[in-house]
Amino acid sequence: MKALKALALPAALVVLAEIGARAAAPSDSVAPPSEVAAAFVQALADGSLVTATRDTLMSAFAGLAIGASLGLMTGILLGSLNVLDRLMELPLELLRPIPSVAVIPIALVALGFGYRLEIVIVAFACFWPLLILSRAAVDGVEPRLIEVSRALRLTPLQRTVKIVAPAVLPRVFVAFRLAAGISLIVAVTVEIAVNPQGLGYEVMTAGQALRPDLMLAYVLWIGIVGFAFNAGLVFAQRRLFGQAARVEAAR
Amino acid sequence: MKALAWRFGGLAVVAVMIALWGEIAALKLVSPVFLPAPARAWTALWQGFAHADLAAKLFGTIRHMIGGWLVASFFGVALGALVGSSKAAREYVAPTLEFLRPLPASAVIPVAIAMFGLTPQMALGVIGFGSIWPALLASVHGFAAVEPRLLEVERALGLSRWQGIAKISLPSATPDILSGLRLGLTVSLILAVVCEMIAGLDGLGQWVLLAARAYKSADIFAGVILLGAIGFVANASLGLIEARTLRWRGRRTG
Amino acid sequence: MTAATLIAFRDVDLAFGDHLVLGKLTFEIHEGEIVCIVGPSGCGKTTALRVAAGLIAPTRGEIAFAGAPVRGPRRDVAIVFQDYSKALLPWRTAAGNVSLALEALGTPRSERPKRIAALLKRVGLPRHADKFPSQLSGGMQQRLQIARCLAQEPAALMMDEPFGALDAMTRQTLQDEMLEIARATKATIFFVTHDLEEAIYLGDRVIGLMPHPGRIGIELKIDLPRPRNQVTTRESPEFLRLRHKLYDFIHASEKGEAA
Repeated sequence: MKALKALALPAALVVLAEIGARAAAPSDSVAPPSEVAAAFVQALADGSLVTATRDTLMSAFAGLAIGASLGLMTGILLGSLNVLDRLMELPLELLRPIPSVAVIPIALVALGFGYRLEIVIVAFACFWPLLILSRAAVDGVEPRLIEVSRALRLTPLQRTVKIVAPAVLPRVFVAFRLAAGISLIVAVTVEIAVNPQGLGYEVMTAGQALRPDLMLAYVLWIGIVGFAFNAGLVFAQRRLFGQAARVEAAR
Repeated sequence: MKALAWRFGGLAVVAVMIALWGEIAALKLVSPVFLPAPARAWTALWQGFAHADLAAKLFGTIRHMIGGWLVASFFGVALGALVGSSKAAREYVAPTLEFLRPLPASAVIPVAIAMFGLTPQMALGVIGFGSIWPALLASVHGFAAVEPRLLEVERALGLSRWQGIAKISLPSATPDILSGLRLGLTVSLILAVVCEMIAGLDGLGQWVLLAARAYKSADIFAGVILLGAIGFVANASLGLIEARTLRWRGRRTG
Repeated sequence: MTAATLIAFRDVDLAFGDHLVLGKLTFEIHEGEIVCIVGPSGCGKTTALRVAAGLIAPTRGEIAFAGAPVRGPRRDVAIVFQDYSKALLPWRTAAGNVSLALEALGTPRSERPKRIAALLKRVGLPRHADKFPSQLSGGMQQRLQIARCLAQEPAALMMDEPFGALDAMTRQTLQDEMLEIARATKATIFFVTHDLEEAIYLGDRVIGLMPHPGRIGIELKIDLPRPRNQVTTRESPEFLRLRHKLYDFIHASEKGEAA
């Protein structure tokens, strides 16, 4: 019953779009869902969809891996060393508000078009959520556990590995999920803005070629990829962390 | 007192970082083509204001950012109020919203270009579309999460529908709405920059892209610094408003 | 001379799905009376209060208020909830919270400050008008809720275990304050509690409900003299006798429950 209700609105919208787009034809910006579906199948068949998806995802994942791990390490470091944390508060506060897209021209000049450009921008964007949230997670570790680690005379490394890491893992995973969403968005944005590869580029090209059906097919596909990626991570989160992360999984 | 000391420490770290930047540039460890000396970036900033139209570009970006954000926030909150307060509406609408949430707003830029051309209207449309989602989703959540006991108090006191929304649901949803507005402002800045880059609209996005094409790294950095400043001021302003509006929270969170 | 009936339950059934919470519940509360409802957990006493307040409609049967059937919450019935912190608006000051009731009643703006000040004074919070609920103690928050309820100038007060979440000392203070308010305003009070001694101390009558489904198991007339006193009343032989009777009833109905 719930599933039917959930599909009611999209189904109605698709029907309306079909009628409306056909009535407004021919147009450069809208196309009926039937033609969009046809263009989608076509792009899938001739391989362009697959190539573009691969390019975007590769850049997104690589950037995510780099940015997230750097952010995580820095976050844990800052969360554990209070002095460093207080000193770095101002510098980070000044650097954080720089929009990731603003870094595009700098990276463009340094690296030119291609994968590296995208990976650098994605890494920059994914660095911050991991830094902020993992730092907060370390900060929020039950102080009692730290006392236990002292009583057991653990070395800082042992303490980090045996106590801090497992305690912060659920919240870090949520931060990772957030960064993963950001990685896809930023990758597509870089492609739309400057980079001639990937799904964003295909959308732009289709638009410029006055192929609204293909353009909308790619936009829809981007939405599906983003949704599937996030859903996959939510599923993984539930399996790995079950009850512990259920509260935060409601995002 | 101690907090002030740490602030100075932070400033010292920033100074050290800038000095380091200067050293790396001086030693040419990184090509000056894309890493200018800090002094050059600073000069480019002032030159831009004095002799070029950097100020116009700055205000262009601010205009795009705020204009789209304001309109989108208003409609997002209003729509969210309608959807959030009705269980039936939520069941039909929420799943679709969840699907649309991970969609990059920048993906609609080509569609907007096809509809409006490379115009300021296109930018407004894109920025509005992008920044409505955080406001809408936060508003839905805020209105859906009103303390049920307060809704009973509303009934018990005999408040009318509008009185209830204005005096109970809206204030209750305000913390969520404010954080949604903050996120929306971040999104609108990003989209403003991207639209300016693509459509050549008057703004910092256009400035930095042109500087990149001309390999003028000092100008790029000047633009990036200004963009960071916009982001900083925007975030800080909303943060201040949030703090004042929510001072009833007290030391404990509800 | 018996006072007029204010609240009347007649053969009230209340079911949540298949589960019958109240079964053929029938009783009356008269004007100016303080009636306390007690019973083991799950007997439906809170549900009975919510039905009387008009928050839930009965599945069968009828509730009448001053002769008219109850169709929803009434302006002249005030509800005091147990979870006071959730029933107050955290973003308004104490004065603002009391004001909410006056705004609902349509009291003219010019009159409000005077009435708010008087109400806060009545519940003992005259110097806390500008504090937020998060800055008030539990007892003060409950007083604030009572002040807001009194702003409605209610004919009846529905109180759902209002002192249950407070410490013993505050509870006793508020019990006496409540009795004083009841005496001064002559309001009718429907008081739900799990504290048997509180019920006897406060009430003119105590009704004990038996669970599954909730129905009257015992009805005691409390003939203790007023004004009541925390020490002397609670030590009097009559008080102890009533207490004994009530304890036996609860014990028996809980045991019968386990069977």
